[in-house]
Amino acid sequence: MLLPWEYGIRNLARRPVRTSLTLVAMTTVVVLILVVVGFVRGLERSLSVSGDREVVLVYSINSAENIENSSIAAQTPRLLTASLSGIWKRFGVPHVSPELYMGIRVGVVDSNRAADLHDRTNTEAVSESDALGLVRGVTSQAPLVRRDVRILSGDWPGPNEVMVGELAAAKLGLPANQIVVGNTLEFESQQWRISGTFSAGGSAYESEIWCNLPDIQSATKRQDLSLVAIRLPPGGSSAEAELFCKERIDLEIQAIRETQYYGGLQQHYGPVRHLAWMVVILVAAAGFFAGMNMMYGAVSGRVREIATLQAMGFRRIAIVVSLVQEGVLLAATASLIAGGIALLFFRGVAIRFTMGAFPLEIDGVAILIGSCVGLVLGALGAMPPAFKALRQSVAVGLKSI
Amino acid sequence: MALVELSHVSKRFTKGDETIVPLDDVCLAIEAGEFVSLMGPSGTGKSTLLNLVAGIDRPDSGQIIVAGTEITDLSRSRMADWRAQNLGYIFQTHNLIPVLTAYENVELPTLLLKLKASERRQRVELALEAVGLADRADHYPRQLSGGQEQRIGIARAIVSHPKVVVADEPTGSLDGQTSEQIQTLLQRLNQELGITLLMVTHDREVAGIAKRQLSLDQGRFRETNVRMQPNEIASR
Repeated sequence: MLLPWEYGIRNLARRPVRTSLTLVAMTTVVVLILVVVGFVRGLERSLSVSGDREVVLVYSINSAENIENSSIAAQTPRLLTASLSGIWKRFGVPHVSPELYMGIRVGVVDSNRAADLHDRTNTEAVSESDALGLVRGVTSQAPLVRRDVRILSGDWPGPNEVMVGELAAAKLGLPANQIVVGNTLEFESQQWRISGTFSAGGSAYESEIWCNLPDIQSATKRQDLSLVAIRLPPGGSSAEAELFCKERIDLEIQAIRETQYYGGLQQHYGPVRHLAWMVVILVAAAGFFAGMNMMYGAVSGRVREIATLQAMGFRRIAIVVSLVQEGVLLAATASLIAGGIALLFFRGVAIRFTMGAFPLEIDGVAILIGSCVGLVLGALGAMPPAFKALRQSVAVGLKSI
Repeated sequence: MALVELSHVSKRFTKGDETIVPLDDVCLAIEAGEFVSLMGPSGTGKSTLLNLVAGIDRPDSGQIIVAGTEITDLSRSRMADWRAQNLGYIFQTHNLIPVLTAYENVELPTLLLKLKASERRQRVELALEAVGLADRADHYPRQLSGGQEQRIGIARAIVSHPKVVVADEPTGSLDGQTSEQIQTLLQRLNQELGITLLMVTHDREVAGIAKRQLSLDQGRFRETNVRMQPNEIASR
């Protein structure tokens, strides 16, 4: 027979200061776990949704896995369109997107001074920020290939205009209200009016700045491209594109499915994920010791009481269960509070990384993992003190002060 | 057959190189309905004997039979079950659970019995009435006086209708007047409810309320009327 539930609940209020401190410690631990789990899930999601299985990327063979370093001939899209029969077409339009992709310093021009600045020379422009942004020069064919892109506000960029992803501000380390339609950015010594914002289904593009390909080529004085994205028909094979790239050694290009490309990047970020899980384990260990410390304190002051319960006829297992109930109850409360804090303050918070930015993914799975870890910590933390208390004989326990 | 039978029970403790023998080949029989007090100076083994009868300690040798059960060989969990069914324990410092009300404290031992909720409630109310504290049922131990706490402790010891109630210095931490109240209560429980009581005390006056008084010293009963041989136990 177990001890009444009220016994465990009321025992928590017996040492309010110690219980409160432990609650704060456990809440902090669970919040940290939720944030780290959210980080890992956000990173994984960002990379996993960034690849489209029906898209093949053609880029320089010399750039290894970094498309930013890629430089291919401007006529590559035409060659590909003419040579490959497996490119998806609708209404006679081949779904091929030539793109110039680069990481460059991007500044934000004070909106109050933007009008004035347009009248001055470029060198006089004043930037509020000067962070590394990801700029992609595209043509109007880009949406045919990048199917997840949706314009959220404003319009497709015109001359000297840009369209920004909804995480571009995070990538630039700026408040979201600075990267809005009508404001002006500055990069490559030019001002670019923000014409619109877009989402991309949580993919890496959401942290990019898109502008017209000829404009960025002109601004950077480049005639080449970084890559060509080709859309295959549903279920289509990338073999033809790969074969073409291998045969045309003069072009020095390679073809790879976009999913494979981001899969490779996921492996690249493997150590980061492992480090994050290590943090979860270390933080969880801290929580375990916090819980155990509290329960040791709680049990050491109750040795005679525990012996009394045994003298009455309560089995040791009933007392262990009751002590575990206390730990779990505290951990459950901590998990609940931590879940609320994480959802209110950390959910969706953008994290910058080299490939862009991604939101902390504090979803049901993260909450479940955080809560389970919290509950397990509560239960495990209560066990050593419980077993220690019960190792003592009842007769000795009854004499304890 | 006696309700409590100890046959050639010995218990020793080792402390460093020294071996203490609080009980040395002790035999004792207590009949149902008896009120027995056990006296002796500190460290003479009174509490050890009480704990052996209560099944919270084990002898090094000998046999203890309480209410027809040989308790020396019971496993730890069976012993716990046996205590729940057969034993009430009155502690010197009452040992009430501070986070539970008087009612909940008294109710605790009944949770270990297979009782209906209504029967449990009835038993708790009767036990509280028996100790004259029905009106303090909702009070927490900190809201009760020392004497009231001990009465609640007594109600808790009798609520499960145990075969034997053991009391370890039940008046040891109380002032004179409160001690008398508790003594009277214990006498009433024995006389009116027929509860078998084994009480340990170092106070001769308190011991005097019991019908039968034993004295323990140097590991053996000193008074001739209580030092019995096994054949005497069998004949009782």
